[in-house]
Amino acid sequence: MDLNYTPEDIAFRKQARTWIEQNLPKKEIRTLEDRLAWHRKLFDAGYLGMGWPKEYGGGGARPMEQAVVADEMARANAPAPTNSLGLGIVGPTIVVHGTDAQKRRYLKKILSAEELWCQLYSEPNAGSDLAALRTSAVDQGDHFLVNGQKIWTSAGAIADWGLLLARTDTKVAKHKGISCFLMNMRQPGVDVRPLKQITGSSEFCEVYMTNARDEKSYQIGKLGEGWAIAQTTLGYELGGRALARITNYASQHSRLVEAAKRMRRHGKPLIEDPLVRQKLGRIWAEIEVERYQALRTLTLLERGEHPGAGGSLTKLSYSELEKRFMELALEILGPYGQLTEGAPKEFQLEIDTAVGERGSWAYAYLWSRAGTIYAGSSEIQKNVIGERILGLPKETRADRVGGKA
Amino acid sequence: MNFSFSDDQILLKNSVRAALDEQCKPEHVRAMFDDPKGYSAELWGEMAKLGWLGLPFPEEQGGAGLGLVELALLLEEMGRAAYPGPFFTTVVLGGLGLMLGGSAAQKDKWLSAFASGKARATAALLEEHLDWDPAATAATAPKAGSGWTLSGLKRFVPWAHTADVVLVPARSPEGLSLFLVDPKSPGVTLTPMVGIDLGSRWSEMRLDKVAVGVDAILGRPGAAGPVVEALLRRAAVMSSAEMLGAARRCLDMSVEYAKVREQFGQPIGSYQAIRHRCAEMLLEAENAHAAVYYAAWALTAGAEDAAVAASICKSYVNEAARKVCGDAIQVHGGIGFTWEYDLHLYMKRAKGLEPLYGDTEYHRELITRHVTSSR
Ligand SMILES: Cc1cc2nc3c(=O)[nH]c(=O)nc-3n(C[C@H](O)[C@H](O)[C@H](O)COP(=O)(O)OP(=O)(O)OC[C@H]3O[C@@H](n4cnc5c(N)ncnc54)[C@H](O)[C@@H]3O)c2cc1C
Repeated sequence: MDLNYTPEDIAFRKQARTWIEQNLPKKEIRTLEDRLAWHRKLFDAGYLGMGWPKEYGGGGARPMEQAVVADEMARANAPAPTNSLGLGIVGPTIVVHGTDAQKRRYLKKILSAEELWCQLYSEPNAGSDLAALRTSAVDQGDHFLVNGQKIWTSAGAIADWGLLLARTDTKVAKHKGISCFLMNMRQPGVDVRPLKQITGSSEFCEVYMTNARDEKSYQIGKLGEGWAIAQTTLGYELGGRALARITNYASQHSRLVEAAKRMRRHGKPLIEDPLVRQKLGRIWAEIEVERYQALRTLTLLERGEHPGAGGSLTKLSYSELEKRFMELALEILGPYGQLTEGAPKEFQLEIDTAVGERGSWAYAYLWSRAGTIYAGSSEIQKNVIGERILGLPKETRADRVGGKA
Repeated sequence: MNFSFSDDQILLKNSVRAALDEQCKPEHVRAMFDDPKGYSAELWGEMAKLGWLGLPFPEEQGGAGLGLVELALLLEEMGRAAYPGPFFTTVVLGGLGLMLGGSAAQKDKWLSAFASGKARATAALLEEHLDWDPAATAATAPKAGSGWTLSGLKRFVPWAHTADVVLVPARSPEGLSLFLVDPKSPGVTLTPMVGIDLGSRWSEMRLDKVAVGVDAILGRPGAAGPVVEALLRRAAVMSSAEMLGAARRCLDMSVEYAKVREQFGQPIGSYQAIRHRCAEMLLEAENAHAAVYYAAWALTAGAEDAAVAASICKSYVNEAARKVCGDAIQVHGGIGFTWEYDLHLYMKRAKGLEPLYGDTEYHRELITRHVTSSR
C-alpha cells in the first residue's frame, strides 16, 4: 500500500491547475451560451471525455487522470460543463455498447456539446421498479414506432437527443423485454413539458412520445438487452466524479468555517463555540473518509476492475452524507442558510448549479434531498447491498412470486 | 389530570380546520407566493370575524379570552395548511408581547385593533449575529428629549412589511428596553430577505436614529429582558405548534401515498423500509404533540416548569419536524421533489421555523442550565 500520488500524477495535477488558473471564466456564468463557451474551452483542452477512446475524440486517459482534473476543477470552484448526462451516461454507454458507426456519429458531438442529451428511463409507474416500464417501441420494418411517457427527465427541455429504454417484447419476463435506443427529441412526436422542482428551478421534464419515429440505426445493442445495458451504465459515473464531489463538499465546508468566524455568539466568534467546533470537525471527518473511500474506488478502476454492487455503497454513503452535511450547514448558518435573496455576501454560497444559476446554501440544501432518490433510492441501494454484497435472502415481493424476476 | 382536549377545544380545532380547508387551499398558498403583500386581506377579515385574531386577548380588548392551548390548536391547523400571512406575528409576537409588558392604554389601543383585523404587528428579535439571548441586543436607544432615538440592524423580521407596529428591543441608558415602532417612521428601512418558505416573509430592518416618544416604551425602561424572554418562550411553543401541524400534514400525505403507490407489484407501504419509516414519523409526531400541548398548558397555567417545558418543546419539535418532513420527501420519491406537488409547502414551513424563536442549541442550553441549577 502506498497512498502517495506518483510523480506523473503530481505533474499532471500541476498542469491541470495551471490551465484552470489561466482559463477559468472571469465572469459569472448566467446563460446556457456562457456555459457552452466554457464547455468548448474544456473540450479543446482535452478535459472532457478523457477516458473515452482517442479515435472518437476522447483522451484515452487513466481513471486517476480523470479524477485529478475533476478534482482540480472542484478545487477552483470551476463551473461544470453542460451536457452532464451525455458525458456521464450516454457517451459511456455508446462507448461500451455502440457500433463503430454510432461511436463516430455521436461521441464527438457529445463532447463538443454540439448535441445535448437526456436520459429517458423513469416513467410515472416505473421509478424504483424501472423494469416495469411501459413505453413501447414497435418494429415497423425500417424503423421503430415509440409511444409512451417518461418523467423526471433532467435536461429534457434543452436536449436534442435522449437515451431511451423501451419495451420491445411484452411476452417475456419484464427485464428481458426491454431494449435501448437513441431518441431524436426534435421531432413532432416528442412533446417535452418542464416540471418545476422544489428548488424553484425547472431542471427535469415530462416527455410524451406519440408515434415518435426511431430509426433502426438508433438501436443500441441487441433487442432485449436494454436492462443489462442500463445496469452497466449506472456505474460509469463513479470514478470520474469520485474525488471532485468530495472536493466540492470541502469547499462548501470552508465557506461554512468562514461564516462561523464572522458570526458572534456570547461575545465571541461562533467558531470558538465548542459545539460548533464539534459539528464542523465531525462532518469534516465524514467528508475525508468519503475521500479515502474514493481512493479505494479509484484503485479498483485503475486496475481495470469495476466496483459492481460496491457502487451502491458509494452512492448510499455520499448521498446520505450530503443530507447530513446540509442540515448541519443550516444549523450553523441559521436562517441565513435559507435565503435565496437578500443574503449578505459572507453568508452566500457561490457554488455552481449547472443550470446557469448562481447557487445558494438554500439551493444546495434543497438539492441534497434529491441524491437519495435519483439513480436508485437509498432504500433500493440498501436492498442491493443486502442481496448482492451480503447475500441475504431477498425480501418477498409480488413481482417475484411464482418464479424469478 | 386530563391530557385530552375538551369538547370546546375539539370544536375549535374542527372549525379552524374546516375554514382553512375551504379558504386556505394549496392553490391559495401558492397564489400568495406571487402576491406583493403575501397575504389575503379578505381572509384576514374573515379571521377577524371568526374571532381568531383576538383569540388569546382579554374580552375587554375585543378578544376571546382563551389560553395558549387553544392558540396552539389554531396554529397547528395553520401549519397544516401552510397559511401565508401575519397571523403569528400579530397575535403571538405583537399580541402576547403587549399582554406581557404593555400598559393599559397600549393594550386598549393595539389589542382591539389586532382583534378587529385593523392592525398588524411583529417583533424584531434577531440581529446580525442570530443570538437569541436578549442580553446580546446591540441596537441602541439613547435619550432624546423625553423620548429616545433607535439605531441598529435587525434581521429576519417576519412580516415587517405588513406591520403597523414592531416590537423592537434596544439598549437605552436604563438598560434593555422594548419599544413600539411604526415601521413607516422616518429612519426605518425595510429590505426583503427571501427564504425557502415563500409563505413567510422576512425583512431586514435598519433603524437609523428613529425617534420614538415616551409612550412608545413597553413596560419600564431597562426592564425588557424578562419580557422578551417570556415572549420568546411563547413564540417558541406557538411556532412549535405550527411546525407540528406542518409535520402532521407531511406524515398524512406520506402514509396515504405509501398505501396507493405501487412498485414491484405491491404498495410501497408493504416494504419494511417504508413502513418502519412511517412508523418512526408517527412516533415523532406524537411526541411532538405531547411536547407542544404540555408546554402550552404549562405556560397558560403558570406551572413551575413552564419555562423549561417551552425549551424542551422547541428543541424537541425542531428535530422531530425535520425528520418527519425530510422523510416524507424520501417516501414520495421523485414526486416529493416537485414544485407542483404540495408536500414542499409544509416541509418548507417547518424548516423556516426551525431556527426561529430559539434554535435547538439555544433551547438545549436553557434546559441544561435548568437541570444543573435545580439538582
Ligand atoms: C432530481 C431528480 C432528477 C432525475 N433525473 C432523471 C433523469 O434524468 N432520467 C430518468 O430517467 N430519471 C430521473 N429521475 C428519476 C429517478 O430515477 C426516480 O425518481 C427514482 O428511480 C425513484 O422512482 P420514483 O420517483 O418513481 O419513486 P418510487 O419508486 O415510487 O419510490 C417511492 C419510495 O418507495 C421506496 N421503494 C420503492 N421500492 C421499494 C422497495 N422494493 N423496497 C423498499 N423501498 C422501496 C423508494 O425508495 C422511495 O422511498 C430523477 C429524479 C430526481 C429526484
